[in-house]
Amino acid sequence: MAAKPKVLVVDDEERFRVTLGKLLGARGLEVRTVGSGREALQELDSDGYDVILLDVKMPEMSGVEALAAIKKTHPNLEVIILTGHASVDVAVDIMRLGGYEYLLKPCPLEELLDKIETAYERKVAREARARGVAQPPEGPS
Amino acid sequence: MDVPGRSHWLWLDYLPCWVMIGSAVALWVGGQGFLISLVLAGGGVWAMLSVRRLQDEIRRAAEQHCFLDQQLIQSQKLASIGELSSGIAHEINNPLAIMGQEVEWIRHLLGEAEGGLGPSEGELKDSLQEIGRQVERCREITHKLLDFARKKEPLIQSVDINRLVEDMARLVEREASLNNIRLERHYSDGLPPVYTDAPLVRQVVLNILNNATHAIQKDGTVAILTLAEGDGGVGIQVSDTGCGIPKEYRDKVFDPFFTTKPPGKGTGLGLSICHGIMDRLGGRISLESEEGRGTTFTVHLPPANQRESHDHGG
Repeated sequence: MAAKPKVLVVDDEERFRVTLGKLLGARGLEVRTVGSGREALQELDSDGYDVILLDVKMPEMSGVEALAAIKKTHPNLEVIILTGHASVDVAVDIMRLGGYEYLLKPCPLEELLDKIETAYERKVAREARARGVAQPPEGPS
Repeated sequence: MDVPGRSHWLWLDYLPCWVMIGSAVALWVGGQGFLISLVLAGGGVWAMLSVRRLQDEIRRAAEQHCFLDQQLIQSQKLASIGELSSGIAHEINNPLAIMGQEVEWIRHLLGEAEGGLGPSEGELKDSLQEIGRQVERCREITHKLLDFARKKEPLIQSVDINRLVEDMARLVEREASLNNIRLERHYSDGLPPVYTDAPLVRQVVLNILNNATHAIQKDGTVAILTLAEGDGGVGIQVSDTGCGIPKEYRDKVFDPFFTTKPPGKGTGLGLSICHGIMDRLGGRISLESEEGRGTTFTVHLPPANQRESHDHGG
């Protein structure tokens, strides 16, 4: 992967998000971590992210609610759900709301990196397509 | 087995005696007594046969009732254990994820240290690898448990059972032949049509074929049989020449986590998953076993019309 995506990890389990941040950072990704859906929404307002890793079961605002809010304000962001709580209903909700992928914890690091890379490529391709339609003469970025 | 209601009919067993006594009295009275006794004796024989038939019907109904009760208890037990264990699996996934990540992070730090930790570095790495392996083992268990509890709606379509079974047989045959285990096929022609969820049935067949080869370990035969059943359904039988299942374990083999394999070799979830699948498909799975001689698992797939009513029944 030539350019590295900027990733936001959203998980109420502090140790999980901090270590995951360090691991992804060691692989060259730019990572920030927050502990709730509300903090995630604030963080997204202030900075441009490519991929979000989002937990589902969090106090105050669940991952599904956070996803719905994120997709309203940042429709181009790719959201990967990373949860310990597998449920078909939640998975269906997430896909309906535009979530990109649904991963069950514990997820091997290499698999997670693959998903992040694919999500990032998808986002870049979509943005390029949108630019191509809007401004055909400008060529690739 | 005790047959409920049988005691109420005991007096009828003696009906022919009453009839014979009645006939003898009639004969003794004379006159038209002989004719009356013939009629009474004929009636007695007819009554005796009817009572016997009735008793057989009651016994069969009671046995069927008892069998359905056992099936229901087993299904309810599995459903409640499934629910409980999936709840636990969810809760365990989060700490497992943290453990897995910490292992990855220590690996990263050790990589950066590049031999600077002295002679114990090798042992440390080995220890770390073992922790990672055990986390992976727990992960497999929790994910299997969640698969077990997940209620996917079966996708019902027409299935060629002989072909489905043969596909699975080929999958296990190569490894089985390495241990000198032979697969014998007895596929019946002209099986009734089967409408079921093929991937789910494949999972069940593969599971019992694997169990059969594991039970034999080395040198033996696995016989695979497909047959039309009396009720219009189809049966798949897998018999092995393995060690058999001891009597005291036979009631437990479908319970989650029950395994006779050594630790780390089996999760004990395979057969409970098979039982759950067959329940959802409106069929059942049963076993016969003789210690030292082998085990036969039979998968009963319901007839097409029953499958339909099972679906409509929810």
